[in-house]
Amino acid sequence: MKRASRSSDTVSWFAIRKPLPGERRLLLTVLSFVLPLALWCLVSYVPFIWHPDIKLTVAADREGVTTVYTAGDHVARSYFDEYANAVRRENEAVQAGEGTTRSGFSARRNNVKILRAVAPLAIEQGWISENQVTDNAAIFDVWEGLATGRLVSEKPELTPENLAIVQEDWQTLQAHWAEDPEHEMPSDPLLKLIPQGRLSNPVYLPEPHAVLLTGWKDWNAEPAEGRPSLPERYRHSLYIVFSGFFLAALAGVPIGILSGTYDFFSKLFEPFIDFFRYMPAPAFSTLLVAIFLAHDAPKIALVFVGTFFQLVLVVANTTRQLDYSLLEAAQTLGAKRLDLLRRVILPGITPSLYNDLRILLGWAWTWLVIAELIGVKSGLTEVIETQGRWRNFESVFPVIILIGLTGFFTDQLLANLRPLLFPWTPEAIGQKQGPLVRFYRWVTDQQVYVRDDKPTTSDPA
Amino acid sequence: MSDHLDLPDYREQSPEVAARFASIRQRPVKLEVCGLEKRFHSPEGERVVLQDISFKAHRREFISIIGPSGCGKSTLIRILAGLETISGGDVLLEGNAVKGPSRERGMVFQGYTLFPWLTVKKNVMFGLEVSGRSGPAVESEAMDWINLVGLARYANAYPSELSGGMKQRVAIARSLANQPQILFMDEPFGALDAQTRAQMQAYLLQIWKNVDVTILFVTHDLDEAIYLSDRILVLKANPGEIQEFIEVPVPRPRDPEQFISPTFLATKNRLEHLIHPRQPGQEQARLPITKMTAAGDEVE
Repeated sequence: MKRASRSSDTVSWFAIRKPLPGERRLLLTVLSFVLPLALWCLVSYVPFIWHPDIKLTVAADREGVTTVYTAGDHVARSYFDEYANAVRRENEAVQAGEGTTRSGFSARRNNVKILRAVAPLAIEQGWISENQVTDNAAIFDVWEGLATGRLVSEKPELTPENLAIVQEDWQTLQAHWAEDPEHEMPSDPLLKLIPQGRLSNPVYLPEPHAVLLTGWKDWNAEPAEGRPSLPERYRHSLYIVFSGFFLAALAGVPIGILSGTYDFFSKLFEPFIDFFRYMPAPAFSTLLVAIFLAHDAPKIALVFVGTFFQLVLVVANTTRQLDYSLLEAAQTLGAKRLDLLRRVILPGITPSLYNDLRILLGWAWTWLVIAELIGVKSGLTEVIETQGRWRNFESVFPVIILIGLTGFFTDQLLANLRPLLFPWTPEAIGQKQGPLVRFYRWVTDQQVYVRDDKPTTSDPA
Repeated sequence: MSDHLDLPDYREQSPEVAARFASIRQRPVKLEVCGLEKRFHSPEGERVVLQDISFKAHRREFISIIGPSGCGKSTLIRILAGLETISGGDVLLEGNAVKGPSRERGMVFQGYTLFPWLTVKKNVMFGLEVSGRSGPAVESEAMDWINLVGLARYANAYPSELSGGMKQRVAIARSLANQPQILFMDEPFGALDAQTRAQMQAYLLQIWKNVDVTILFVTHDLDEAIYLSDRILVLKANPGEIQEFIEVPVPRPRDPEQFISPTFLATKNRLEHLIHPRQPGQEQARLPITKMTAAGDEVE
């Protein structure tokens, strides 16, 4: 039986524990980022997939209802019709001459509010500026323009129903003003614009472009007087994370190495640390504020508490993982106590230690948000907190993504530096060396290139 | 190896071999082990691993230690190197009791144990630097030892770039650079493939010829033991005791062709008897699987 001929270099996409060729790996790596983004775009831009809400472009207040919606708010799709119909019924009541509970100033004031409902629309069309929302003359101008057809709203369009209302109200106003040279508001109620809006996802899932644009805008925005700008906040957050992590490493690495080397220190330190690490760092937040007062100190202390105890245990374990026969070999070569520590244990564990610290830097990042909440809120977390409370999630997402990208790229950088720092590890030797590595090698060890015969793994004998 | 072959007695020595052993006995004693005992404590109670081990190793002698698995041959050599404590008896190096490991007693392990973060040259310099020496003299001395094991081209390579045999040559050079009185080797070639192992045995004899060092060599390979050694210390298990101390009657210089010489085979025959005593009925053992028996018939 003849086997189907196949070129030898075609590997199945699903070969068990076989590495894929380079270009496929790259493709999949790119896809791993593109797919979630594509999913986000799909859900955001294709309306029939989800879009359970309606984002209001025109809102209306209802009589006797305390919940107030303004343009930009989200209402559930199922509730929207009920809401619009309620407003329609109120208009019908007005047309029938009923429902005039207000009189005098209150009625006139209510009519001003009705007219101003058009303001968000007018701002979006660029007819008025944001400061002109309370400028009655400008609002009147918009109504006049809409009623006469001089101004036509596009994206969002005004529904024919609302256009008719605008025209009817404008006639009412004109009729009233014909008798009133002062251009006061009539005390008879005007018709309200019927709420309208477009399909949208819940407020917590903004569209990608909104996140991108808002992020860019926030990053470049001039901060309020005396408040830090977003880049300043970013630097401050980096300062908190790295200070806390650096201090934890400074104290934790020596203790960890001692514990991993000497049973004495292991038994002296580790049981308590093992117990202490189960107490969540945030539980100490108020205590830390009491000890270190306001500003950055308690925040750095929280990152320290969250990182230090894990770090000691991880480093101690890494130290214990060092091949004991290396220590035996060193002893038979004459190495004594401190030599063993300095010449065998320290150089032997540094690559693993480096990896541990990379992972623990990730831990330090996870404590950032809690650290910045304690005492006086600060840094990026303050943005997340305040914008989140106002439900401006298109301002929250960029900050979250910024933290993620920072962590990710720091880690990637550290991972790529590893073969430079530890050229003797099997991974570094097996790795195809990039230009950066070759340059570094050239600078630090010119012999590599002076030597004419490069070592191979085959024995020449 | 069977009994009906007409082999000489392994105790018969040709005149030059006898003369060689006479001269070895004249040499000063490097290592003396008297009544050595090793007990391990376990929850089930005390276990005697080694008992009443006494022997002497003379200067530049090559002694192999063999025995069935679990006889404590590795434990013995680790005790001698100072990596394990003694439960009883004495170990004397040139008349002085030893305590703990020292640079006087080098050790080559089965698992290479090169320092991966040091280049070949730096590995070989390790012992010299630990003893407080530094500078170009140390470096050139290290290079001499690297030359001796034929790895000059790899002086700046890291261990992970080397093959197993090369690594073990570096480990030997590293131990010898300290110029120890005695070199312990714990199954040093056990992890190597057969061809490399044969090469390494030849290398080792070559090196030993050039260096004034006594070698104690643990192995489970009988051919290796006979090929390399002057004398072979045969241990038995449970408890580990000296069963016999054989003077190898094969003349030096050794050559792989001697593997089939009568004296070699006689020694091997004796060793096999000591290590795997033949029990009656053992050879009739058959696998109860019919399919396998049938396949065996075809082969024969």
